[in-house]
Amino acid sequence: MIQKRMKDFFQNNRLFMKMFLVMVISIITVSVLITFSTIRMSNNLFMETFSITNTKVLNQIKQQFESYSYSVAYTTMNVQDNGTIKRLLNKEDLNSLEEYKTYYAITEQMERIYSDSPDQTNMIVLGKNGRLFNMRYNYWPVTADELLHHPITDRLNEKPNQILYQYIPSSDITHGRNMIVASKALTERSTGDVYGYVFIPIHERDVQAIYEGFTNDGNSVVIMNGDGDVVSSNQKQWIGERAPNLLAAASREASGPVKYEDVTALDKEYMMMAESLPALDMYIVNLIDQEVVIDNLIDTKELVLISVGIVILAVGVVFIISRRMTQSLSRLVGQISNMAKHDFRKPVDESGGYEARELGAAFNYMLNELQDHVDILLKTQRQARKSELEALQHQINPHFLYNTLTSVKFMVKDGKKEAAFDTIDALIPLLQNALGNVDETITVEQEAANIDHYILINQMRYGDRIKVSTLISPDCLHYHLPKLVIQPFLENAFFHAFTEKKRGYIQILIAQRENRLVCEVVDTGDGMRVDTFNEKKEKRNLFSGIGIRNVHDRIQLLFGEEYGVEISSELKKGTKVKIILPLIEENPKNRTISKDNTNLGKS
Amino acid sequence: MKNYLFKKSWVFALAVFALIALAACSSEESSGDTEGGEEPDTITAWAWDPNFNIAALEIAKESYEGDAEIDVIENAQDDIVQKLNTGLSSGTMKGMPNIVLIEDQRAQSFLKSYPDAFYPIDEYMNPDDFASYKLAPTSYDGKQYGLPFDTGVMGLYFRTDYFEEAGYTMEDLKNITWDEYIEIGKDVKEKTGKDMLTLDPNDLGLVRAMIQSAGSWYVKEDGETLNIEGNEQLKKALQTYKEMMETDFVKPNSDWSQYVAAFNSGDVATVPTGNWITASVMAEESQAGKWAVAPIPRLDTEGAVNASNLGGSSFYVLDIPGKEKAAEFLGQTFGGSNEFYQELVTDVGAIGTYTPATEGEAYQKESEFFSGQQLISDFSTWTEEIPNVDYGTHTYAIEDILVAEMQNYLNGKELDQVLADAQAQAEAQLK
Repeated sequence: MIQKRMKDFFQNNRLFMKMFLVMVISIITVSVLITFSTIRMSNNLFMETFSITNTKVLNQIKQQFESYSYSVAYTTMNVQDNGTIKRLLNKEDLNSLEEYKTYYAITEQMERIYSDSPDQTNMIVLGKNGRLFNMRYNYWPVTADELLHHPITDRLNEKPNQILYQYIPSSDITHGRNMIVASKALTERSTGDVYGYVFIPIHERDVQAIYEGFTNDGNSVVIMNGDGDVVSSNQKQWIGERAPNLLAAASREASGPVKYEDVTALDKEYMMMAESLPALDMYIVNLIDQEVVIDNLIDTKELVLISVGIVILAVGVVFIISRRMTQSLSRLVGQISNMAKHDFRKPVDESGGYEARELGAAFNYMLNELQDHVDILLKTQRQARKSELEALQHQINPHFLYNTLTSVKFMVKDGKKEAAFDTIDALIPLLQNALGNVDETITVEQEAANIDHYILINQMRYGDRIKVSTLISPDCLHYHLPKLVIQPFLENAFFHAFTEKKRGYIQILIAQRENRLVCEVVDTGDGMRVDTFNEKKEKRNLFSGIGIRNVHDRIQLLFGEEYGVEISSELKKGTKVKIILPLIEENPKNRTISKDNTNLGKS
Repeated sequence: MKNYLFKKSWVFALAVFALIALAACSSEESSGDTEGGEEPDTITAWAWDPNFNIAALEIAKESYEGDAEIDVIENAQDDIVQKLNTGLSSGTMKGMPNIVLIEDQRAQSFLKSYPDAFYPIDEYMNPDDFASYKLAPTSYDGKQYGLPFDTGVMGLYFRTDYFEEAGYTMEDLKNITWDEYIEIGKDVKEKTGKDMLTLDPNDLGLVRAMIQSAGSWYVKEDGETLNIEGNEQLKKALQTYKEMMETDFVKPNSDWSQYVAAFNSGDVATVPTGNWITASVMAEESQAGKWAVAPIPRLDTEGAVNASNLGGSSFYVLDIPGKEKAAEFLGQTFGGSNEFYQELVTDVGAIGTYTPATEGEAYQKESEFFSGQQLISDFSTWTEEIPNVDYGTHTYAIEDILVAEMQNYLNGKELDQVLADAQAQAEAQLK
């Protein structure tokens, strides 16, 4: 049921569906293309501006690191050059009072130097004799022993004349923090002997503060040392990792002009820009996770949502407009395809859009013209048939007339005056009937009379070896039937059914059955094969010249296909002709004409 | 007609839908944070020592039954002081915590400089419940601002094994003067070779402890007038200090870790300081049973007692949104819960100044580490004896001057001159 309805719906809205689909597909395609090209264009534009900004940012970070390294250098130099610190660090074996004064003096000196030192950091001076002075104990609570035996101090002993920026990963000594320690050995100028060390530790967290403001999701800064260790990054999980790939790329990048380069490092693909910090033996690397950055900047979801909104809106509008346009067309098509049901007489509605209205009008005009044309055609055709019938009717077989008249002559000669008179009496109405209007109908009663006359003439001529009985239901007498309908079959039976048998009966029955008038001509003659019947009948129309076939055609022409002539026959037993006619009360000429039209239209 | 209407309304609905969809896309959350005024759900608290006051706050947070969320943040004490100074002096309270821990000897300078920045909490606590010496530094202008936290009551931590070796017992260290301490120290150094104590040249905490034990301070009772020149107690304290140096049993240090290392390594025989050092002493487990705590020596002057105070801090509520909740939190935990103090002393070893708590069971407990001494109980007893002094506002400023002058004194400058110079400097700097 539903399936059928669906099918009907699709059938009825085929045009609409096609149009709508095409429109929807185009709208979606256009929107998708525009959305994508917008995203791509803004991506490109963004990356371009982004790289310009980031170049500046990178330079700024670099400057900050340089100023940091400058102040570190300045501070260490001050410590190195400070005579008090040098003298006191070299002293051994002091009593409480002297030692106490020493501690105070060093702290005082350091206080002075430290006040110039970079903010957020600490300064630790360590003597080789194990004396440790920590300016901000909270910042890095470390003991002299721990420091003296730490690898960073060993490295200082190896390179006493250099400021080393050393990375200490999170461990016990740093209290779980990542640290970068600027450090230098304090040396005796004359001998080059190391008498102490100065450390300026900075927490990774505080290094981050330098560049943190410039970073965001996907735009990361990595500070890596010359060994390829990530010493600081806004991406916490990277800190402490060793990334030789990145180091190689960074050193290559930093030596050339600053521009973005693709690099695969730290398990992912990034766009990379780098600056070197030669004083710190470090690199500032800017890593861009393009996906994340662009995701953050361009709200793809929003863009897509807007596109979807526009598509829905456009599709809605298209739906309404195309529906209105196609609906009137579909209605027109429906009306046209149903035309036949209404005899091609019902004009189509001229409604809907301009096109549909014009089309309807044109169609209606064409329909009218066609109808006029058909009317004229029908009229001509009917006239042609009528004249044909009339012509046939006039061909009353002269042989019949000649034979009858010859019989009459012999009757007169033989003095059978009565018989001659009867024969002529029967001939006169027969001729009268045959000469009249072929279109007219006659009552069953009149036809019965004609039949009687015809039988009489034949029996006068050939004797009564063929006996004819007529059985007419009295309630049929007033019904009309076309002329010359029964006679051709009666004639056929007389002249062809009894060639072998010579004797027999012919029975004529007229009765009303199932609202029809049924006339039967049954003979007990030779019978025939039905298929041979058609060939025979045309040639031997002795009386009226109207063929049996002709009768059948005429009845169907007049009353429709349900009426006509049925013939059944059996060899040696006889033939039965059944003529089926409608019940016609009188002679309504107009009605038959209208029937004619319908039938013509259908064929 | 009906159909037409339906169609129209359908189009309208579609348009409305599209508009809403577009509007929803483009409008970001425009409702920003409403600055101030509103009660925050989270109360922030700043403190500095994860083993001590931070741990105490965590316990308070757990025992608190109110609806406020407490966020405890660790900051170095210097940073807290610096941040408070910057924040309060600039007048913007942005980024300030609701609750901040301030050392008692620093508190007055904050209260005096920024009286409007703090929120009085008289309504949330009863000051009579606390040790009286804590009230002067925590109140200002007749209003109670601070909720007293730990006591800085001092004790003389000493190595029983060293002293035994030198022939001394606990009884010999009870109720002694600093002069007697020096005599004993000489003996101990001689017999064991161990230094007596460790000192930081930049921290005159011991001097402060000495003068407070005699009821004196750098300022007079009004908290304003300088009391340096001619301060007999201070003079005696500096003399004692120098004598210790000259006796050559002082191991200098320059920071906290060196300080702790000095006694953890067994280099010094005594640690005269506040009770908050207990945890650090106990950190060296190998020395269990080798420590005991005697009352702090008194200054050899009239009226001096064997009790003093060093360190000790109190909580303050800043006058920013959330202050009521913050005050309520403090009032219900540090300000009035006996059970909380029992838990505090058991889990953290922090001795509060809430007097009703001293009756509790936990305060009577014996410490295994300190050879079965009823340490908490002893400290509580000494707490009650601490002379009440008004620290005033300039303790640390004056001390900076004294630290420098102390060097001059150690280098041979006349003591009266030292004090006079210090007074002159302080007057010039502070007035």
